[in-house]
This record gives sequence, structure tokens and C-alpha cells, in this order.
Amino acid sequence: MRVERITEEAGQVSQNVFEFLRAPEPEASCSQAADASPSVFRLTSQGAADAGVRARLALGARECARRWFEMQRDLVSLPLSPAVRVKLASAGFQTAEELLEVKPSELSKEVGISKEEALETLQIIRRECLTNKTSYSVTAESGRKCTALELLEQEHTQNFIITFCSALDNILGGGIPLTKTTEICGAPGVGKTQLCMQLAIDVQIPECFGGVEGEAVFIDTEGSFMVDRVVDLATACIQHLQLIAGTHMEEEHPKALQDFTLENILSHIYYFRCRDYTELLAQVYLLSDFLSEHSKVRLVIVDGIAFPFRHDLDDLSLRTRLLNGLAQQMISLANNHRLAGKVGDMLLQYGLSFTGTKSKDGISLEKELATRSSNLAWKTPWTEEPGRLQPVGSQESDTT
Amino acid sequence: MGVLRAGLCPGLTQDMVQLLQSRGIKTVVDLVCADLEEVAQKCGLSYKALVALRRVLLAQFSAFPFNGADLYEELKTSTAILSTGIGSLDKLLDAGLYTGEVTEIVGAPGSGKTQVCLCVAAHVAHGLQQNVLYIDSNGGLTASRILQLLQARSPDEEEQAGALQRIQVVRAFDIFQMLDVLQDLRGAVSQQVSSSSGTLKVVVVDSVAAVVAPLLGGQQREGLALMMQLARELKTLARDLSVAVLVTNHMTRDRDSGQLKPALGRSWSFVPSTRLLLDSTQSSGSLGSWRVVCLTKSPRLPTGCQETVDLGSLGTPAFQGDHKGH
Repeated sequence: MRVERITEEAGQVSQNVFEFLRAPEPEASCSQAADASPSVFRLTSQGAADAGVRARLALGARECARRWFEMQRDLVSLPLSPAVRVKLASAGFQTAEELLEVKPSELSKEVGISKEEALETLQIIRRECLTNKTSYSVTAESGRKCTALELLEQEHTQNFIITFCSALDNILGGGIPLTKTTEICGAPGVGKTQLCMQLAIDVQIPECFGGVEGEAVFIDTEGSFMVDRVVDLATACIQHLQLIAGTHMEEEHPKALQDFTLENILSHIYYFRCRDYTELLAQVYLLSDFLSEHSKVRLVIVDGIAFPFRHDLDDLSLRTRLLNGLAQQMISLANNHRLAGKVGDMLLQYGLSFTGTKSKDGISLEKELATRSSNLAWKTPWTEEPGRLQPVGSQESDTT
Repeated sequence: MGVLRAGLCPGLTQDMVQLLQSRGIKTVVDLVCADLEEVAQKCGLSYKALVALRRVLLAQFSAFPFNGADLYEELKTSTAILSTGIGSLDKLLDAGLYTGEVTEIVGAPGSGKTQVCLCVAAHVAHGLQQNVLYIDSNGGLTASRILQLLQARSPDEEEQAGALQRIQVVRAFDIFQMLDVLQDLRGAVSQQVSSSSGTLKVVVVDSVAAVVAPLLGGQQREGLALMMQLARELKTLARDLSVAVLVTNHMTRDRDSGQLKPALGRSWSFVPSTRLLLDSTQSSGSLGSWRVVCLTKSPRLPTGCQETVDLGSLGTPAFQGDHKGH
């Protein structure tokens, strides 16, 4: 429709404009121009004598310009390295579309960057622009886009990690939720690490008993992880489940309990020890790869997130920034890998506290047992917190 | 304005581009600002061709002028006012969220920002039957809560399911993912991909501070640029697609005075046109469900107005009008 109108009015275009276009067939150039850019519309509108024609062309130009503008992607919004971005800007490149047709060797010559950088830059740009163009109507990769109804269905099928303290489970709405981060704050000695250790065991409870049947990652910054305490808790949990299996004489319960032994429980807790904030940050950022390999992990515990930041870091704004970045990274991990991230912390003014351990690759707890049990000392005696939290070691009577 | 390339506009050939580049004219800006007589002499190109080329480039890259009256007419027809579903908030917002503008809710952690956003989403999806895009960046969204809000409005399950389908949820945990999401939205709307009945009227971004705060400050120069890029995307989205954008922000403590102030600094404070501050009431502290909402920035109403909101009873249709705190 619009093209026909333009070819009609092309005859009325003023002399110098027509001369500029210098096309052998005015219709062809105008139809080309109609598809290519809005500039020619505006141009012909300037030259056209009739005001009505100009108005119609201008409207067409505006709509075309709007459509055209929407497809352009500013270079600032792409994850390029800052040095490359500065050089691209000084060479005059502003949108991603301008770079799509350029070859890497041309780009490196014009902009003044190395060929590898040029290749990498173009790969990033092509990946961003092409995925945008092809996947508009389809949900994006990793299922990021969904309706609230689908989200509701997912939430209904999600389990919670029970804490074996019915009061705590009640206020949490069933237990520690998956795909979310939970924070536990408290004064020293109130029982945060105990709760963390209990949860590292609870996450492994088989599904027929109402558990999540997953593995746990325990990142420790304060060194307060007690292996013998974990052994106590695990033994109590096994006894508790055996009692339950005794009342349910169905097939699956005793069979599932056969795998739920002390050795298995301890070997499914991956322990990391981090001694300062750099190691903590590195550990959390590398966790993504670890989790892809160990897909059964359902709980990531960071015990003592504030501890490394309090001692090493004098620059407060850097601390806030690092913690914010860490928080976002944890939420992103929790969401992508369907985990529960949990942090125990001392009382602090701002929100997230994570604790992490040091070693780069996760060592399963069985190996750690041999080297660490002699170093551990029981620092604070286990006290019963009046009110909510109840001692989780001796479990047979209460819970559920 | 970009680099001069062959085919950028009709009449710009590769030879011309190379001749211009050899004289140091690489970008459109260079050509437009250059003295064309001099360029014509040096490059050996015809003066008329250069003038025509400059005119085409200016027409292509310059902004298109609008008539004020046309603009007003367009604004009258395309702007909609969307009620938030909370009577006292509507009073402060002058009847509701205006499409084409960015509205911001600021508050300390736990002050109810996400609850207000969920209530707005539920009301727009159910009461106004329009689509909502909810961009979640800190994991605060639970669909069960939206269901609770909808159940308080109507017992009909089909209506609830319909409303839930009108709310699109996207998760974006860092700035580049969020910019991707906004770009996708542009593309989807421009290609007229619609999922269900109703058009997109509200975009909720909860929260902006979560993705921007890790970038600001320190040695990084890029943080501010990315924040402004996000601001520009949100504002042009609001204007071009006629949607109301609702963002949430945190509070930080001022270094000198120790007072609480909205996060992200002065540069961000120019972005939203309306700003609401949520605070807990003095009597209940942080445990009650009552909140005080204060209007701190508005283009239409005097700032400093306060209303109270009970977060516990959000979403019930009977909850209209103001309830002064007890």
C-alpha cells in the first residue's frame, strides 16, 4: 500500500532530490527505499508540493522510523569488555546492527583492537541479536518467561526441606522453600550452625518420607562445622525414620531406608572451607559449574556470610557492592538449579549473609573426616534457646 | 549517529566512503559538521552530491518534529490511568498509575514493596482485564500470594485462572538479563505477538536496585552508564508502548547525615516521575501490617501527602477509601 503511494508521488519529487537518487527506474529505487529506511520518505515529503501528500508520507515515515528504531540495540546494553566498548564508541559505532555486517578483520583494523577481541565481540553481538530476533514468540531459553498460572503449578509441586522443628516449619509455611534464599540471623551461640547442619541432613531424606532426597553443599567461613555433631544428628535422624518406617509396612519405606545410612549421608554433604572474602566470592561464583556436575544438590548452606567481610574489608561501599552481587548470584543459582540457599549470620544491619568455605573443589565429607576431626573443638555449648528453636539432636519424641 | 558505510543511505557508495575516510571523515557527525566546499575540493566529489547527501543523512538521523496540538491529542487518546486496587494509593497517585510514566515505590526491607506490586498486578489482571509483565530480580514473587489476592477478589476459579494467565513472569537477576528482557518485549510487541486477550498495560520491575546496586560506585565507570541505559529503556518503553512502569527501590543510609534515603543516588532520582515512600507506622513498628505511604515526588499533586495502608487486607474489593491508622 505504502509503496504504491510512494511510486505515485515519486513523480512529483523536486528536481534536486530526484537527481540525487539518480536511479534508472524511480519506482524500483523508491520501493527499495520504502523497505530500507524512513529517510527517503522524509526526503520525498520535503520535496513534495502537496501538503496532504506530505502528511501521509510523514505518518508513514514515523511509523517506519519507529519500527526501525525498535530493532536497534545500543552497544552499552551488551556485555562487552569496557576497553573494547570505549574503542568502538570512539570509532563511531553505536548500535549493534551496525556491527552485524562487519567482518572481524575489518573491525580490528578500523577500531584498533586485536583480531581475537574483534571475533569475540562479534560473537557476542551476533548471539544477542539473533536470539532476540528468532525467539520472540517462544519462551526464552531456560524457561525464564512463564505465566503466573504455570508458576503456581510449579510451586504446588515443590517440596520444602523440613527442619524437624514443627514450630519452625509452621512459621516457614512447611519448611525451607526451594528456589528461594532464606536467611537465619542470631547472636553468637543461639544455634544457627546447628540448624544448618540439621538441614544438611534433612535435605537427604527420601521422598517417601516427605523429604527432597537431594545433596547438600556446606560452605563454612568460621570453621564451626563439627563432624561429630553431624554424626550425632544423622544417627538420630536415621533412628527417627526407622520408627516411622516401622509403622508403615509398605514396600518403599524400608527399601529407601537401606540407602539412608551414615556413610551415605556424610558423603552427600559437600564441604567447602573459605578463609577470606575472596575465597568466598570465588567459591560462590564457581558454584554454578559445580552444581551442573552434581545435579542432585538441593541445598547450599553458607555459614557465616558476614564473618569474612567484617574482618578483611575496610571499604564499606565495596563491601556493600560485593554483598549485593553475591546475593544476586545466590538468588540466580537458587532459581536456575532449583535449590534452597541458606545463610546463617550474626546480627547485621543489612540483609544477606552468606558463609562459604575455602577449598575450590568440593571434597565429599568422608575424605574430610580423616583430616579434620582432630582439629575440631566444641566452642560454645549447645544451649536450648527458650522459645522457638528446640534442640534438634534428641529427636525421637517431638516433630511432625 | 553511526559510522559512514556504503549503502547507509541512497547515494553513498563505497568509493565515496573511502574518499571521505581518507580525509578523516568517518562518521555521520563528521560529515554533517564539515565544511562541504573544502571537502568537495579535497576529495574531488561534486558539491551538489555532498549537499544532497548531507540533507539525506540529516533527515535520516534527526528527530522528527511533532506539532504540539497533535502531541496533546495523541496523549489524550493514548494515556490511560490504571487503578492500583488500593484506595489510599490511588489518592496519592491522582487516581492511579499513568501509562507513559515511570512510578517508583521506595522502602526499607520488609516494608511491603513487593506486596504492593503483587496487588497492582492482581488488580490489573483481574479487575481491569489487562496483561501485566512482572520482571522479578530478587526472588520475591510467589504465585501463591497472587492467588490469595485473587481469591480475596472473586471466588470463581476460572476468573482466577484467567487473571493468572494474564500475568507474565520473567526472572532477570543481573543488568544484562534485564536489558535483554526489555529488548525482547519491544520486539514481541513490534511483531505483534500477543499471548491472550487484552494488551500489555503494566510492566512491574521488582526491584531495580537489586540489579543496579552491584554496579555502582568504586572503580567501575560502567555502572552509571548501564543504569542510565536501563532508565532510558524503561522510559521509552513506557512512552512508545503506552504502558505504566512500576519499579521498586531500596533505601540506604546517607553517609553524612545518617538519614535513610532512596538508593541508586541522585541520577536515578530523576528517572521516575512519581515516587512513593513506604514506611512502617510508629505504633506497630515492623511487626504490624499497617504502613504509611508518603508521596515524595509527583508531577500532579503536592508532595508530603500521607496515607496509611493495611498490607494484611490488600486486594479485598471492599477495601477502598482511607483508613487512618489506629
